[in-house]
Amino acid sequence: MKITRKMAFGTAAGVAAALSLAACSSSAGTTDGSSAGATDAAAADPVKMCVLVADVTSSEALSFRDYYTDYIAGNFPVEFVYSDELADAEAEKTAMEGFIANNCEAVISFASADRPTQLDMAEDAGIYYAVATGALSEEEYETFKDYEYYVGAIGPDAMTEYQAGYDMVKHFTAEGDTEFGIFGGGVPYYLEMHIYRAAGMLAALAEDPTTSYGGATEMGDILGKIYQDGTIKIADFESDVYTLSGYLETWDFDAAWQASMADMIAAGPDAILAVGTGNAILGAAVDGTGIQIGDIDAYTEDNLVAMENGTLGFLAGKFTSINGPIFAATLSAVQGEPYRTAEGSAFALSQGYWEATTAEEFQEIVDADNVDAPVYDVDALSPFVASGASYDEFADFVSKYTFADLVG
Amino acid sequence: MHDLNGTTVAQDDAVAGTPATPTKAAIAKEDAAAAAKARRGKLFADLAPLIGLAVLAVAFVLAGTSAGTNMGYAVETLVNQSVIVIIIATGAIFIFAMGSFDISLGASTLVAAMVAGLVHNATGNLWLMLGASVLAAVTASLISATLAAVFNLPVFVTTVAMLSVLGAVAAALVQTTGGAQIRIDRSFAREYDTLTVKIIVAVAFLALCVFLFNYTRLGRVEKLMGGNPVTARLTGVSMKLTAIAAFAIAGLGVGLGAFLTALRTPTLTVTSASDIGMNILVAMVFGGMVISGGPRSRIYAAIIGGISMALLNQTMSIMLQGMAGGAGIAQMVRAVLFLAVVWLAASGFRTKVLPR
Amino acid sequence: MGSFMRRATGTLIIPVGVFAVVWALAAIDGASLFSSSDSLMILARTTAVTMLTTMALAINLNSGRFDFSLGAMALASSTIGATIAINVGGGFPAMAAVTLAAGALLGAFSGLLYVTLRISPLVSSLGVTLLFEGLAFTITGGGNISFTQYPELVAFGKNLTALVIVIVLALVGVYTVFDRSRFGSDYRALITGQHAAVSAGVKEKGNAIATYAVSGGLMGVVGLIQASGKGLIEAGSINFSTIGIMFTAFLPMFVGGYIGRYSNDKLGYLLGALSMSVIGLGYSALRLTSAQQSLITAFLLVAFLIFLSNEERAKHWWRRARLGNRPPSGPAAPPRETAGVGASA
Repeated sequence: MKITRKMAFGTAAGVAAALSLAACSSSAGTTDGSSAGATDAAAADPVKMCVLVADVTSSEALSFRDYYTDYIAGNFPVEFVYSDELADAEAEKTAMEGFIANNCEAVISFASADRPTQLDMAEDAGIYYAVATGALSEEEYETFKDYEYYVGAIGPDAMTEYQAGYDMVKHFTAEGDTEFGIFGGGVPYYLEMHIYRAAGMLAALAEDPTTSYGGATEMGDILGKIYQDGTIKIADFESDVYTLSGYLETWDFDAAWQASMADMIAAGPDAILAVGTGNAILGAAVDGTGIQIGDIDAYTEDNLVAMENGTLGFLAGKFTSINGPIFAATLSAVQGEPYRTAEGSAFALSQGYWEATTAEEFQEIVDADNVDAPVYDVDALSPFVASGASYDEFADFVSKYTFADLVG
Repeated sequence: MHDLNGTTVAQDDAVAGTPATPTKAAIAKEDAAAAAKARRGKLFADLAPLIGLAVLAVAFVLAGTSAGTNMGYAVETLVNQSVIVIIIATGAIFIFAMGSFDISLGASTLVAAMVAGLVHNATGNLWLMLGASVLAAVTASLISATLAAVFNLPVFVTTVAMLSVLGAVAAALVQTTGGAQIRIDRSFAREYDTLTVKIIVAVAFLALCVFLFNYTRLGRVEKLMGGNPVTARLTGVSMKLTAIAAFAIAGLGVGLGAFLTALRTPTLTVTSASDIGMNILVAMVFGGMVISGGPRSRIYAAIIGGISMALLNQTMSIMLQGMAGGAGIAQMVRAVLFLAVVWLAASGFRTKVLPR
Repeated sequence: MGSFMRRATGTLIIPVGVFAVVWALAAIDGASLFSSSDSLMILARTTAVTMLTTMALAINLNSGRFDFSLGAMALASSTIGATIAINVGGGFPAMAAVTLAAGALLGAFSGLLYVTLRISPLVSSLGVTLLFEGLAFTITGGGNISFTQYPELVAFGKNLTALVIVIVLALVGVYTVFDRSRFGSDYRALITGQHAAVSAGVKEKGNAIATYAVSGGLMGVVGLIQASGKGLIEAGSINFSTIGIMFTAFLPMFVGGYIGRYSNDKLGYLLGALSMSVIGLGYSALRLTSAQQSLITAFLLVAFLIFLSNEERAKHWWRRARLGNRPPSGPAAPPRETAGVGASA
């Protein structure tokens, strides 16, 4: 017993001494724990760009990753280091600490559990930080827009999410559909994008004068009711024209969840409106029933097959190379030319989805934008990587994101 | 699950292996040799977690310096990443030492951190936040202990039920904010999320635990309960009171860990602290804690294991950065090292039958 | 006849009681437990998954071997089976055969590791969980396996008849192996007297490895059914994210232990799983939130454990209240057979 305790202290002291020596010798060249991001050596070596990802398993996440690691890394002087899947704010912080310790020169974040902490850590460490396929809230933007190392955000903002849900319903109602189910995904977890998408769906239905959701017909009121309830209550949906015959949320897959899903499908709606992952979660269940799914997801092979066989009737999706512009802005910042607004702040630019309602449209999109031949290819992005382009030019470039703009 | 007779059986085996007609002196000599061998085996087993820690530290320094890692920042990160697990796991050793098992510690940490966050947001007072965190965690811990003690329930299954209950409580606490998160003012959190605060909290709690575990009757009784509950009962020890005391100390550790968690990650969701429950288990075992408790329980196990885990994680992330599928490979390497260290730590305590 | 009635009552009181209560609650709320044509299929599917998981947990836990790796075995085996079926071909038969074989092999590996390293089975299972999760992640590179393009591979999980056959085969198989074979005799001898059984020549290591292999095989079937039910395999699940399935098996296991006193614990696991599935349908019919479901399930677990742990005390009080100080009459209750069901943990 005594020996073990002595040994424990001895070894711990030895380990601490070794680590201290290593820490002192290694950090001699830095002053504040910051990375070597701005050193001259970076100019010669590839820029080490680190990516925070909350999701590493979905087809969308994998195609985004392939675009960066296969296409971008092959055409620009950059190497990407990806985090593991980040389940919560602690995991994000741990990953950020690893990035900083390992001399990342910039961080592109797809993880949103605790963006303020990520921003603070990047600013303290002196490494550039950018938000991809997302946006800061207005309050957050006001807080962080003047951070020196905050590059900016490009992605669907809340209104874009709302619009995607709205467009989905408009598509199905134009087809003459009147009976719907809703898959609310992360609504009970207060996932903002899912709540806005669901609100867009309900608002589109509520344009009919006999229709309301708990008396609410406008976006703000509908959002307020969803936030208050933390769910969507089909009993509160009132309409002489439309029927909301089923509602399902979360991804529990237990007996209760499966029974709720079966009930929603058994009710036989014309379409199930999904706030996300609709085909992945419900595709197998609705196969052969004639029910169509409206989904907000990505242009993946699975979704193409579902659209070909008629299961998927509407898709608002992020295209494979959608993260090209945020990469260009980040690399430009690392190379000394950050884009700043007229007020000298970081930018907040919105980009929306591409929509497909037929397999032909879907195929066109896939043909026009894939990892081997992306719409945001090296020719499109190079003029915005430390090439003297102004912020207005960059903002204009980002704003022209539609299929018609980019493909013609 | 109790592994009670390791030493005895090992010696019995040695005796059973002697020749049929030895002289008395030869028997004594062989006995002495066998005893010495057993002592060496046990010493090696005791040292295995320390050897593992030293090897991992060397690997970390080598991998870090060859990859150009900023070692100053990396070492600071090591402390940041391991201190919460060390504090909670050290408190939990009081539960595990008596042969019990609490699977709900991660969920307790989440609920206590959320309560701390809500109290801070309501009062803006650091000390009330700390007190609320400790109170919530100790209460949760005592509910488990009381249920188990009063109704004679198996502790582990009681804590399985508590896991569900605490998850539901966390969801309810988040809903009180009308959103998905409980957010603590970040400038406040940054002010106190410092190495100094962490080290003060850790040193104070660890000193208390070492004192209680090694120098008071409580620690001795717990090890006795874990090693031989029948004997413990015969000595007149109040098993229920001892168990409640153990859970209270573990709750204190959870409360302090939750307080530091709320400062470190001031945005709390229902998934926060989701890894802590299993991480403390792995850290304890990695540090040489015998999961069935008893006399071989070591209060230092959590410190050694917590630092070892952090070193291993950092080393793997340095070595596998940028590799697709690297997380899977890193996890398999962690598994192999974990099993190797545990195997070495158990090497001096083999029994004739399989351990349970 | 009286004995038969008592045994039948003891065996059926929980599932029948649960069904009656849940059905009544749903009816009061104006809802139906079997509101869709798929309800029975869902009942069968969730019963199969819960029963198989409960058996996989219980056969080792009865021997004092706690196993965190059940979910990881289901994940890794189904990932291997699906990957081979998709890349090599062979359709569902290949996927089923490979998944089952992979489950049994992974289980045997887990058992081999345990008997070779001779460390606590709980600790061994922690390492094995990390190992198998890492294996599944590495096979797919962290991505999910989707069956959208391969619906034929998952049709089995939507077939009521197939699911019922799986339940029956598993029940008969596990009953035969553990209750009606030489292996089962050795297994039970090791439960009741480990040292004595080993001294009497029972091959403990082989018995343990085989038990782990059976457990792995059962979890392979669970992986297969789950893949069918979800239409995808979440192969990127790491950091112990697979252990949750184990917690769903505790209540059915205790219910099975109780029913086992009157008939057979394996049948008890089936009836316990069936009861939990009926409760699940009830949650859906009553539209309870996830948090409410968690609370109720936790309450049921604690309440049932309190009942089990204090049954004799309660009976004693009841008799005293009813009969004063006269000694009780009538047949004694059947012996309890709940040894090892986690009580020491």
